[in-house]
Amino acid sequence: MEEIVLDVPVQPPTELFLPVPKKFLEDAYKGDDYLVLVGPQHPGSGHMRIILRIKGDVIVEAIPDPGYVHRSMEKLAETRLYIQNIPLFERPAIMDTGNVTLGYVRAMEKALDVEVPERAKYIRVILAELSRIGTHLYDAGILAVFLGHTTGFMWPFALREPIVEAITRISGARITSSFIIPGGIRRDVPWNVLEFVRKTTFVLERRLKSFEKIFIKNPTVIERLKEVGVLSREEAIRFGLVGPFLRASGVEYDLRAVEPYEVYDSLNWEIPVSDEGDSYSRFLVRVEEISQSISIIRQAVNELRRIPEGKVISEDILQEYAEVASADIRGFFFRVFGELTLPLGEFTSLTEASRGTLLYSIISDGESNVPYRARVITPGWYYLKGFMEALRGERLADLQAIYGSFGYFPPEADR
Amino acid sequence: MSDDSVDFLHSGPLAPLKKWGTKWSLWPVHLVTACCGVELAHAYASGYDGERLGSLNYGIARQTNLIIVEGAITRKMARVLKITYEQMPEPKFVIVMGACGLKGGLFWNGYHMVRPSDVVPVDFFIPGCPPTPEALLRAIRSLQEKIVSGEARNTIEFEKYDLSKINVRGEQPLKPPSPKHYSPTPPIKVDVPKEVDWSFGKKLIAELKSDLEGLYKSITITDKNRIAIQAEKDDVVALASKLSKRFDHVKNVNVIDIPHEYSFIVEYQISSYSVKELMPVVVNLFARIPRNNPRFPSLAVFWPSADYLEREMYDLFGVWFEGNSAMGERFLLAPDTPEFPLRKDRKLREEIYSEVE
Ligand code: SF4
Repeated sequence: MEEIVLDVPVQPPTELFLPVPKKFLEDAYKGDDYLVLVGPQHPGSGHMRIILRIKGDVIVEAIPDPGYVHRSMEKLAETRLYIQNIPLFERPAIMDTGNVTLGYVRAMEKALDVEVPERAKYIRVILAELSRIGTHLYDAGILAVFLGHTTGFMWPFALREPIVEAITRISGARITSSFIIPGGIRRDVPWNVLEFVRKTTFVLERRLKSFEKIFIKNPTVIERLKEVGVLSREEAIRFGLVGPFLRASGVEYDLRAVEPYEVYDSLNWEIPVSDEGDSYSRFLVRVEEISQSISIIRQAVNELRRIPEGKVISEDILQEYAEVASADIRGFFFRVFGELTLPLGEFTSLTEASRGTLLYSIISDGESNVPYRARVITPGWYYLKGFMEALRGERLADLQAIYGSFGYFPPEADR
Repeated sequence: MSDDSVDFLHSGPLAPLKKWGTKWSLWPVHLVTACCGVELAHAYASGYDGERLGSLNYGIARQTNLIIVEGAITRKMARVLKITYEQMPEPKFVIVMGACGLKGGLFWNGYHMVRPSDVVPVDFFIPGCPPTPEALLRAIRSLQEKIVSGEARNTIEFEKYDLSKINVRGEQPLKPPSPKHYSPTPPIKVDVPKEVDWSFGKKLIAELKSDLEGLYKSITITDKNRIAIQAEKDDVVALASKLSKRFDHVKNVNVIDIPHEYSFIVEYQISSYSVKELMPVVVNLFARIPRNNPRFPSLAVFWPSADYLEREMYDLFGVWFEGNSAMGERFLLAPDTPEFPLRKDRKLREEIYSEVE
């Protein structure tokens, strides 16, 4: 087999135009519709290009051109140790750190068949739900930017600060914590930090009430989002929508309930569902999920009161280091994980990340200490198709509202 | 404008006024190139309020004078970065955020990465992954100083550590093992059977077996809620038309390259949204195809949700999904990327861990 080196130097572009596929130009030229290019540099968040065919001001067809943030994660994963891939696979959506790392780690745990200590499970859930609230708020802020509502951007980002602070106190990093490792978490979380997390939820709850007045129930916002970009239940299923966007179209599907992981089946929470399928209900479902997450976090902190501190990493993983490292892995990390090898086979984990289903599929050859192939599909990549279909038949001016309501985040979708 | 008036602007009696004006009106264009954008948003929101430094994000390149490159620049984005830069009026500045923008950071040996400094002239780099909002605001302050004094100053010197002296709880931290262990001709099997306590699965398998009689090679339970169906490529369409009555969407389209066996494995992982009992079940329908003629029937007619996933797999592996109208076109990759980069014979540079002084 001849080897080809991928290390090809990049030539900075010399001509300054973006190539538009010829066939679209010819089609538009012959027909009576316009071709409008949105992006890649546009006033929203993240970069992708949407090629729109417009008749009058109605969108006839939306053609996506993704890949502007494609950072070759799946290939890179094949050259790194299993354990080094945790930070790599956190990068699709760093604000969602709890959920994205949990997905990858769970795929490894499935292969290794290890049981995680109960205390670690609850702390993982807290981290995942904090990230979920953070991501929902992030997307609410970006939606506000899309609608030109600056106050609506400032509020959720101010609300994100206490969440970021809580994640910092738990893990030591503001955004990219990589705190979840196979068999548990990096180190135990002391009681005063958990108390801080619990208090944070009350701050969030109170300030969300004002956000509701300012943005969520704001008549202009409702007017912009209601009955815009509607996807029916059948369409949502056909195009494979995920997460809150699927639930907004009336399908009660939440992986935390469908295939419960960690301790979600022992906590009390509800799955918000709406039947409208429009942009506003997509937004409302996510707002409602924030209150559910707040309640999950409080329950988890309460449960942690009864579990003694000191054991957060599974002994099956630590083996001879179980004595010294079960509450804190520092100093022993590569001793424990350096030669980690998974058994032969394919291991698929499904996780409910903030924006929906997150799939990791690790194919291991049973011999190497790197994955043979690691497949990751992020929520953004799943709902891109539904997003494009939602644009069809809408007015050009509603593009921003639909884009924002999906919270489409290109670094996540392109990986 | 003649050269005289340009000189007058830059060094005439009003030059300090112009510098002062530029200093307090640095407007970055919206160019959220990657995940560092999260911290940029924080820097300009109420927590850190970047606006008090006279700097505020703005949507249109032609009315801005600063680009903050927010992390990774890909081959596809490099062109956009250049075009945006060219559109901006003089004087203009570039700040690059994040380890990715310096030398690629976490993705340094990726096939789709570009260093921003190869594309545009850079004034300041901010280290970090992602850098904190404070660090970003410090870069803006440094740029303001540079505008007034004309000199770029380094604002941070990293301390040098002697790695051999670091000691955590009596132990010297270990480096990651290097080089890594790659098995040269590993066995690959995606349907390793597993004994699980799953009575619904046993029932489902019996139903599937009678339903799909004669079309499959084997049906295996690989884990709780996971079933693998092996088939011949020619039977896949018939299988899909039967399976699509139970399972309504695709969760994954995947290709595995096995050069030492001269084949690709193509997988479709399917599941259901409409039937409650089937929701957690993921069925993996897979078949082997020869590596020198990688063609596979497109199943997007049964499951429209497979469309973009098939296009992605064509981009990365070159498997031609017959029936998908977009085959032969690039989707995610930039035009100048080497083709089919995920095949095993395409090599990335290896990382080596060594002690540096
Ligand atoms: S430096 Fe880190 S946070 Fe920034 S773009 Fe790169 S990976 Fe993302």
